[in-house]
Amino acid sequence: MNNKKAQIQIFETIAVLVVFFILLGIGFIFYTKVIKSNIESDTAEISQSKSVSIAQRVMFLPEIQCSEDNVPKEDCIDTLKLDSAISVINKPENSLYYYDLFEFSDISIKEIYPSSGVAIQLYSKITTDYKNKFQTNAPVTLYDPKTKINKFGVISITTQTK
Amino acid sequence: MKKAQTEILGLAIVVVLVIIATILVVKFGFSKSTNVRNDFTSSQEASNILNTFLKTSASDCSQLTMTELLQDCAQGTGIVCGNGEDSCGYVKSAATAILSGTIGAEKKKYEFLACSNFNLKEIKCYDPTPLVKIDNPPDIQPCPGQKKLKIFPIPINSGTIYVKLEICN
Repeated sequence: MNNKKAQIQIFETIAVLVVFFILLGIGFIFYTKVIKSNIESDTAEISQSKSVSIAQRVMFLPEIQCSEDNVPKEDCIDTLKLDSAISVINKPENSLYYYDLFEFSDISIKEIYPSSGVAIQLYSKITTDYKNKFQTNAPVTLYDPKTKINKFGVISITTQTK
Repeated sequence: MKKAQTEILGLAIVVVLVIIATILVVKFGFSKSTNVRNDFTSSQEASNILNTFLKTSASDCSQLTMTELLQDCAQGTGIVCGNGEDSCGYVKSAATAILSGTIGAEKKKYEFLACSNFNLKEIKCYDPTPLVKIDNPPDIQPCPGQKKLKIFPIPINSGTIYVKLEICN
């Protein structure tokens, strides 16, 4: 009789332990999922911040930014500077310097008004091995200092992050 | 310890575990995801577009800027552009082309308005016929998403006109 009671108690203890470990397992799975989603969300946020900082670097790039009496103008691209900047940026000896600034991204400028023109590529270094891709379009004035004409354009910045 | 006391202790542990689980679910399950890039781009969008638009030169109107054409439109000095349009008409067609090529291409609703009798507190135009009005679609209200608004004052001889760009994301 005593032997049977002891066996029942042992089984009860084993059942409690099994339930405990199942609950522990469920808790662990939940915890890892939460941690994983937090890491993914942080990674996405870091990628977005990187994309924003690259976009800001492009918008304030002295190589293309308009200036008057050495005072830079915001949201303005000097079309004369742009022609020179394209050749400078795409020179093989400068590629490392501009990679440090723009990393994996594609930067192009397109005239919208008065005539809708073809996009001019300023910088392009893209990879197929990326995790996130963001596109930022910002309106800019395309200023021609020879004719003093302001045109409406859009600078399109596509950034890829790993 | 008596059996009843042990069971109460067990029940208390279960209750504590349930409370901890609920706190974790509330903390991690309902946390808002932040979108740094969207906040940055949408906050700048209306301001940048309007600022750039007002500086744009009119190719058929002696390269006058849109600001100068709007001033002429409000003062009625009667500039007629090379394409036969008056200053108000020219600004309207230029704004239509630019906004449809930028905000319209992203399928966002927008309203562009130039008005001489504008209430800044209510953000409302009291002109029966505004100087220029472009809205796509015809009425952007209500805007279920994030609304971005920029108002630029332009001085004229008899006071100030206001240019408003409202974008519904």
